[in-house]
Amino acid sequence: MSVIRGIIILHLVSVCFAAETTKAVSMKTGNQLAVLRFEGWSISEPLTEFLTEELRETIRELEIFQVQDRGLTNEISIFYPRKKDYWACWSEDCAIDLGKRLKVNYVIAGNIQKKDLNEFLISGRLFSVDMETMINEFAMNSSGITDSLLLEMKKMAYNVSGLPVPDTLSVGTDTSEVATAGDIKRKRQWFKLPPIPTKIKALMMSTAIPGSGQIWVQRKYPGYGFLGTEATLGMAAIISYYNYNKAWGGFEENYSSYQDGTDPHTLEKLRPKVIQYAQESRRYNSFMKSIRGVAASIWVVNMVHAYLVAPSDDYFDGEYFFDLEYNPNVNQVQFNFNF
Amino acid sequence: MLIRYNSISIFNLVKVISLCLLVVTFSCEDADYDLDNPFDPSNIDLDPPALFFHPPEINTNLGESISVELYGLKLDPSAGAHFDIRYDWGSVTVDSVIPGPFFTGLNEPMEITVDEQGVLDVFIYFLPDISSDQSQSGTWSIATVYFSTISTGESELLFGPNTTLRDANNELVTINEYGSGYIYVE
Repeated sequence: MSVIRGIIILHLVSVCFAAETTKAVSMKTGNQLAVLRFEGWSISEPLTEFLTEELRETIRELEIFQVQDRGLTNEISIFYPRKKDYWACWSEDCAIDLGKRLKVNYVIAGNIQKKDLNEFLISGRLFSVDMETMINEFAMNSSGITDSLLLEMKKMAYNVSGLPVPDTLSVGTDTSEVATAGDIKRKRQWFKLPPIPTKIKALMMSTAIPGSGQIWVQRKYPGYGFLGTEATLGMAAIISYYNYNKAWGGFEENYSSYQDGTDPHTLEKLRPKVIQYAQESRRYNSFMKSIRGVAASIWVVNMVHAYLVAPSDDYFDGEYFFDLEYNPNVNQVQFNFNF
Repeated sequence: MLIRYNSISIFNLVKVISLCLLVVTFSCEDADYDLDNPFDPSNIDLDPPALFFHPPEINTNLGESISVELYGLKLDPSAGAHFDIRYDWGSVTVDSVIPGPFFTGLNEPMEITVDEQGVLDVFIYFLPDISSDQSQSGTWSIATVYFSTISTGESELLFGPNTTLRDANNELVTINEYGSGYIYVE
């Protein structure tokens, strides 16, 4: 009874905490940028990936934006777990939604099309997540093979960063830029839950359903392993409980008859049944306790594993519990907590 | 402000963990029992095979009818029995004797009763059938004696020295011990 009361109080307290939480709307706009993987039409997937990474690297080198790491950006497949992660994410809504999930201020989405034998069209869109609109749209024609495409991606990086394209890059290409940053209007934000770090979310998911946290962070084999193991143990526990329940029912029925009985002949028959059912119920209960112990241990290991394998969110500053950052004032890398 | 966000995460986590712990630590009850029923043959202080009165003590009122079973404890198979029952004929009178299941096979047993001044002789015979010529073994009620109380006081029930059981070969069936009974009339 006291356990149930404690849990109810715990729920009430947590609900109170949640109800009192408010988040101040900040107008601060950062420079964090995520480059979604470009969509390739009639060109190979590795090449698309390579060109996208080239764009990331170039923008990063230009130091206008703080470019999110590829690994972190690819975490978006957690939210959109499909084979081609960003295909069909060309619209404003989709890109901004992904940007919010990735906790960045800007998102670049684009595609590379092979139009002719040696002619490519590279299209890119720059979205502002904070302003929830598309800022720029770029389209570049390239009439070369891989080297030319690399060049185009570099030029697009300059365009995105708002820097003039160096002369060394502007040979034999046709670049156009479409400005679309008009009528910018911030959408009203209603109640928004605070962000939960990925590690904590994976931990909570695996705490609720073993393996679900791992599956969510794309560690599917360990996730299914934990899930399957716990499911097997759960089934074994259910079968044991069924047998225990049966034995317990037999025990209660016979023991009750034994206690109330007055006929020696009947009592003589009931006595071994009581002993038999009691032994069976003890055996099954003991088995269930063993299963519980093993399952609990695996559950804890699963929780720890989910926390460890989940990607950390400490790439950017200030959002979560802790992060690692370089402090130029003291010329040291610092480990910061946010409390 | 950030600490509040973290608080929510931590509280949610605590909630989930506490629910899981509740499931994990919930355990089923172990069977706990005492086989101490006084009528249980294992709790009757007699050396089997034995004969005893069931129940061994009866509290009743004047003018009421009572019944006492003549019980065999772990008896060997038998074909006939002679019960020599001693009772206080000033306190109770014998109304009737009904054979119990011990000698009942496919046929009902044959029974003869002779009641003379505190001595009740009961003869019961197993009637052979197609499957057996004697009773099965075990703990069984052999007969039920119905008494009526006629005066207050204590009346002791005893098995007399002529009490015997015989098998189908007319051999004596071993009886190690005899129990006694009491009737308290108020």
